[in-house]
Order: sequence, then structure tokens, then C-alpha cells
Amino acid sequence: MKNLRPNMTRFGLPGFIPLLITLLMAIIMLLPIGTGAANVTMPHLVLISVFYYMSYRPLLLPYGACAFVGFMLDLWLDVPLGMNMAMLVLTRFFVLNQLKHYRGKSAVFQWGTFGLLTVVLYTMSWALMSMINREMWPVVPHLTQWLVTLFAYAPVALLLGRFRKAFL
Amino acid sequence: MQEISSRTARTPIGAMQRVGGKGRLVFYFYIALSATLMTLEAFGAGAPRVIRAYANDIVLPVLILLEKPIDASQKLFERLAGVSDVFLENQSLREENESLKLWRASAQQLARENESLRRMLKVPVSHIPALATARVVGVGGGAFERSILINAGSKDTIRRNAPVVNEEGLVGRVLDVGYMSSRVLLITDLNSRVPVRIDGSGILAIIEGQNSQLLKLTFMNEDKIPAVGEQLFTSGHGGAFPANIPVGTVHSVVDGQIFVETTALMTRLDFLRVLDYQTLPPEAVRPDEQTAAPAQPEGETGS
Repeated sequence: MKNLRPNMTRFGLPGFIPLLITLLMAIIMLLPIGTGAANVTMPHLVLISVFYYMSYRPLLLPYGACAFVGFMLDLWLDVPLGMNMAMLVLTRFFVLNQLKHYRGKSAVFQWGTFGLLTVVLYTMSWALMSMINREMWPVVPHLTQWLVTLFAYAPVALLLGRFRKAFL
Repeated sequence: MQEISSRTARTPIGAMQRVGGKGRLVFYFYIALSATLMTLEAFGAGAPRVIRAYANDIVLPVLILLEKPIDASQKLFERLAGVSDVFLENQSLREENESLKLWRASAQQLARENESLRRMLKVPVSHIPALATARVVGVGGGAFERSILINAGSKDTIRRNAPVVNEEGLVGRVLDVGYMSSRVLLITDLNSRVPVRIDGSGILAIIEGQNSQLLKLTFMNEDKIPAVGEQLFTSGHGGAFPANIPVGTVHSVVDGQIFVETTALMTRLDFLRVLDYQTLPPEAVRPDEQTAAPAQPEGETGS
């Protein structure tokens, strides 16, 4: 009873599925979908993936994995380093502390919790971008992406759920 | 989406609480790390551009692979949408073709005349060759920035700051150059500034990206408000972009603020040309020109 953590090694190779899926989500976020002027419509799939796996398999995405995915996403998206890293690490921290309040609750409640968390994270990222660039960053793109991410949560979580049931 | 049940959630919360103290330390470590990285970015000492460029090289093969089915399905949808009005389209294309034949003859005559006049006046040729033609394989920035990834890099002799165009007009300029890929900063990005000339009136101005579909026209050298629909071309000032590349049209004027719609970015970006155009080095500008030049807006002109 020394170590009860069902960590990646205890799950074997499938234990890496959440990390690999989250990395794949990061790559999908880079795909050129939509017009050149309006490529903001891609939801933050990594945030959805991290929140989902933290809700169902919290120990398969440790802080290190969240930080790594966030760091790579910052490099790939060409946004200030540390931005997505902070967002994902905070998501993990939030879910670990609040899971006991929404575990066993309805899917709509979980969706609402995700919406609440992401509105805080997007507000924080907007404030940080404004501070880093020393000017008021436009609010509309952040608001648009938050809304798209919020509405994309249900179908993406459904897919992740099917995949989780099959492999984890 | 399913309910979280205690059966499916295999993680014992008690176990998490037991390791909570260590977990909290790890959490603080990563928060401190991200705060440090962001502070470095804020003071301009972030990761060197070369690291970002080579990080794109790592992901490029996967992007090319994933992009194939998306591209195929988008083309299929476009074809299916086009089948319904193929007859009408064919008729209008025939008419357009007849009119274009007349224009071609006229254009060829003007080109010959232009060429002979250039020779007589010894004016250098203004055609700018392409360094490479590349495909868009990824987008970047999300809600923060507007940039794209192209599948050409230093192996294709791509240089930093080279202008990027498509058949419609100016797209942006090269920001980072990796070995196989490059990042292009779009003209719609908030950090983008392009010196432009309004066609017809010849008024000079700067267009600024807004991180949205529309750009803002600022620093006009005259108070005259341009009419909606007037075309804008690069002016060539500052040396960042060659002159006379189409940039956009005046979209609307709201409370004295003039908004411009880009011509090149309104469709799906596919193939782009990276121009072999060298940005003028600072020493190429004479000191007396620098003092006589009008005040530039804060930020990187021509970026």
C-alpha cells in the first residue's frame, strides 16, 4: 500500500494514450482550416483534452506532461513561451482540487465547469498578452475562440470518451 | 460525453491527496517556470527565433500527413458545391474568356511599349522573381497572433523578412526560417505594419493589422477620406515590401476610422510565392533622408 498511484507505468503503453492524444490535438490545432483572414475558429483542443483526461484519468497527465505539451504548443503557435504552459498547468491544478465537487454529476454540469474554468483562463491569457506586449490586446479574437472552444467541448469529449472506453 | 462514475474513474482520490504536498510543489515549480519564460518574452529575451523555427520542422511531416485528407475533403465539397451551377458558370466563363482575349491583346501591346520605353529611359526592370513557391501546411497564433507555416525553409533559400504573396496580393512576410519550414506573419497580425498607397489619389498611409479580418488605415499624409472600394497597393516606402503589390480595398469608414479588407486572405490560403526581395539594410538610407522622413508609427514598420 506504499504507492497507490495508477501511474503511466502501471497502465503500460495505454498509459501514454492521454499524452499522445493531447499532443495530436495540439498538431490538429495547427492545421490550416478556414480562410487566411479568419483562422481563429479552431477550438483550443488541447485545453479540452487536458480537462477531459484530468476528469477521468488524472494521474495519466502529470504536471510535467501538461507543461511539456504547453511548451510545445507555445513554440508551434508562436505565442509567448509559458502562456499555454501556465494555462494547462492551472487546468490540472483546478481539476485536481475541484474534481470531488463534480465527480458523478451530469455531463451538463461538467460542461458548465469547463466553461467557467476556460473563461478565467482566457481572461488571464488576454491580460498576460496585453502586459507582455504593453498594449491592450483585442478582446474579440479571445472571446471568439473561447466560445468556439466551449461549444466544441461536447463533441470532442464524446469522441475522447469513446476512445477512452475502448483503450483505457 | 458521459457522467463521471466511480467505476470508470480508476484514480483513487485518497492516493492523490497523499501525494498532494509533492504535487503542489511541482505545480509551483511549473508556474514559476512559465512566469519566468513570459517575463523573458516581455523583456525581449525570449527563446531565439531559431528554436521556434526548428520546432516547426519537427511537426511539419505530421502536418503534411494530416493535411492531405482535409485538403481532399475540402476539394470534394468545393466540387460538389460547384456541380449544381456548372452550366451557368460555363456560360459566364465563355463570355469572360471573350472579353479577356481582347484585354490580353491590349496588355501585350502595352507590355511591348512599356519595355521599349524602359530601354530608352534605362529604367531598371521592376519584376521580382520568386525565391520559392510553397504550400501552407499550418496556421499559428490562435487567438493571439496571425501567422502561417509554409513548407519551404533555408534549404529552399528562404530568407527572413522576405515578402510573401499569392495570386491575389500581399499575404505577409517571413518571420522564422527553419530548414524545411518557415513561419509567415500575416498582414492581419496586430504587429504588422505595411506602407501603402491609395490607388487613384496616391495618398500614402500605413495599414495596421488588428488580429481580425479587417485592417486599419492610419498615418495618412492627407486628411481626405478614401471612398469605400478604393484599392490599396504597397508603396514601397521603408524598403520592407516592393511597390505596387495589391493589398486590399477600403471596406468601411466608421467614426473617421478607415478599415481595409485584404484581397489575398479572404480565400483559403494554399500556394504562396516567397519573393526574392531584399529588405534595405539601415545603412542604405542616407542620414539626411532619415531626418527628412516623416515620423514612423511606433513598432516595426513594414512588418
